[in-house]
Amino acid sequence: MTGQGLGIGIGLAALGVGLGLGLIGYSALQGMARQPEAIGKLQTVMLIALAFVELVFLLTVFIVPGSMAAFK
Amino acid sequence: MSGLIQTGLSLFATEEGGEHAGHHGASYWGLMVYFGFTLLILFAFLSIAKSGFKDRVFKNKWSSRFEQVYLFIESMCVNIIGPHGRRYVPFIITFWLVIFVSNIVGLFFAFTPTADLGFNLGMALISIGYVQWEGMRSNGVLGHFKHFAGPKLGLAMIPITLMIFIIEIISEAIKNVSLSLRLFGNIEGGHKMVEGMNTLGTNIIGPLSLPFGFFLLPIKVLTVVVQALIFSLLTCVYISLVTHHEEEHHEDHGHSAAPMTA
Repeated sequence: MTGQGLGIGIGLAALGVGLGLGLIGYSALQGMARQPEAIGKLQTVMLIALAFVELVFLLTVFIVPGSMAAFK
Repeated sequence: MSGLIQTGLSLFATEEGGEHAGHHGASYWGLMVYFGFTLLILFAFLSIAKSGFKDRVFKNKWSSRFEQVYLFIESMCVNIIGPHGRRYVPFIITFWLVIFVSNIVGLFFAFTPTADLGFNLGMALISIGYVQWEGMRSNGVLGHFKHFAGPKLGLAMIPITLMIFIIEIISEAIKNVSLSLRLFGNIEGGHKMVEGMNTLGTNIIGPLSLPFGFFLLPIKVLTVVVQALIFSLLTCVYISLVTHHEEEHHEDHGHSAAPMTA
């Protein structure tokens, strides 16, 4: 049972992070198409945002097993 | 923090029980061997590049390649930190080169220094510790800690200021964890992904196995570059947050106009 919960939780985290990454890519691409001269700055900010969103998934992967063991 | 890391590593632990149940990756000496290997590659290429400095024009192609890396990091520092960002180029470029070369090593071998959480935590501690040092140097020790307390509120708001201060201190400590976990998770996750794909291809045609993980190489190459970039980029951002001067001179440096290609 614990294993199933773990899988569902990590899958949900992956779903949310995928949506977030897609939104970042979408808006960055729109901004780049609108203003090609701002590509450098947009890429920098986009990478920072990508890093922070990605971290949420990594934190989930690292914290969920530990917290499940703690609540058992 | 060690409890968090231990629980996180329990996900990757393959064998239960025993003294080193929670430990993952190579042993200490394995890590040192791989780190020495990484440094050997890096210093070999750097010495080749340095031997080209004697010419008036760079004829050595490795000199020109490292010049491009330098220009890239320099434009990143100047764009993010500001005109005084050129002082931090040696610090940032060291991180970039070490992470990049060890990620490249990870493409060919099963283990790499950046796939070890302790190594990454050490690098993150160096990075954040240097950020604190720079903040204290540019704002003074008291000014640096005043920076944590947020905006100046009235005397009645002292509990709020205290809470902001505590939360800022915690987020400063979490920066270490986030920097190290991001790098570790990406590199180690890539390795796990390749292992899983290879498992799919075992004994697929009779006794023959196909290395399906090979097809993940493009995305792993992308990860190599992006993770090295993100670590140095975030270090730049943290430095720019603590050394931000209000009376920033808006000089137009030639380098700040250089296009940044990521």
